[in-house]
Amino acid sequence: MIIYIIPVVFYFQNQTLMRHLLGSVLIVMALWSCHPEPEQYDLLDQMVVTTNYDTTANFSSYLTYSLPTDTIGFVSNTDPNDSIRTSPQYELPRKVLQTVEDNMEALGYNRVGFNESPDIGVNVYAVKDLNLFQQVIYPNYSYSGYYGYGGYYYYPYVQTYAYNTGSLVVEFVDLKNVAANKKYKVIWNAYMGDLFNAVNQLDQSVDAVNQAFKQSSYLNLSQP
Amino acid sequence: MKYLLIIISLFAVQALQAQNNYFYLALDVNKPLTNTEWVDGTSARGGRIGYRAFITEGSRLSLGIDANWTSFNTHKPTETFEGKGGAITTDYFNYIYQYGVTVSAQYYFPLGEGERVFPYAGLGVGANNNEYVQYYNIYSNSERKWGFLARPEAGILVKFTKNRGLGAMAAVHYDYSTNKSESYNYDRFSSIGFQIGLIVMNRY
Repeated sequence: MIIYIIPVVFYFQNQTLMRHLLGSVLIVMALWSCHPEPEQYDLLDQMVVTTNYDTTANFSSYLTYSLPTDTIGFVSNTDPNDSIRTSPQYELPRKVLQTVEDNMEALGYNRVGFNESPDIGVNVYAVKDLNLFQQVIYPNYSYSGYYGYGGYYYYPYVQTYAYNTGSLVVEFVDLKNVAANKKYKVIWNAYMGDLFNAVNQLDQSVDAVNQAFKQSSYLNLSQP
Repeated sequence: MKYLLIIISLFAVQALQAQNNYFYLALDVNKPLTNTEWVDGTSARGGRIGYRAFITEGSRLSLGIDANWTSFNTHKPTETFEGKGGAITTDYFNYIYQYGVTVSAQYYFPLGEGERVFPYAGLGVGANNNEYVQYYNIYSNSERKWGFLARPEAGILVKFTKNRGLGAMAAVHYDYSTNKSESYNYDRFSSIGFQIGLIVMNRY
């Protein structure tokens, strides 16, 4: 044990050394927090496009689909009155639905009405997830004199931060092969995010939908 | 192990007793040498700080402790990754945040009157922590790994005047660490670096 104590004793005896080391520690602590991250604009200027498909599905057997005309769904854990769904002047629903339709047509599918027994029901919706996190704030407090006199103290308080995250979702529901228990199966979906932090929500959403179809070549009916 | 601790402690005592010592703070520019497909750019976002004490008469040998930090990054353009049952398309940023601590020994070559200019060669050994992070949109993946760090180094100290402690330093070093990351295909990490900085030297 003594071999560990000796250096500590000498350490505190050498005041110059202590000042240097103290200075070093402070600077290291200040610089330790240097944790550069990519610029927000560079991160958010295009969406991440993820597609999944049912490997047992025979996509060439589906020929028709149905699609809403001007409304996309909205799933949220907060207030459901969101502009994406409700605002009449908001362009996103029509643009996205038009892009889906253009891609479906290019792949060889025929659009039919909901009551014309489509093979695929195309769902388009936005999922919004409000994330909250809380931080306990300890205000600066001054201390002068001896304990209990001359100092003042503010009670800590809790600050709540909130940020929205969300995805634009397109999915194909198999209406042709309904299971015996009346359960419908999703045979393809695309998740595109983040929708709510996008630099240009409209253009990036359209680009993301196009990319979702582009990376899903198995949907093409003319493909052998 | 016990003997090693005793030897280290004796050296530490000697170093802390030393009247002649110096402290330094330096900008550290590094270039990774391994798995350069993941990160390849030279990074000037690094620094080193340390304390070294001369433990022999004539200031020919010193022992010290050094801490370093560096971040490397590379932007990868949009790419589609195919998997079983799906695909993902995104551009992304690869980052490595590196922090290391070493104990080191230096030998100073005699030059001139030995009062202002101190060329040296040294070796540091310690621990290295690499945090590998991939950023894409609001998402990120990361993995943090520790490894053994060995750092041969050669440099020069130059005091601005004979009687004052302030001076400059420059050094080149090679870092070899055993950090493994299965996720990002690293079985070790090495880099070369150049540092330039300031020293405060006490010589009596």
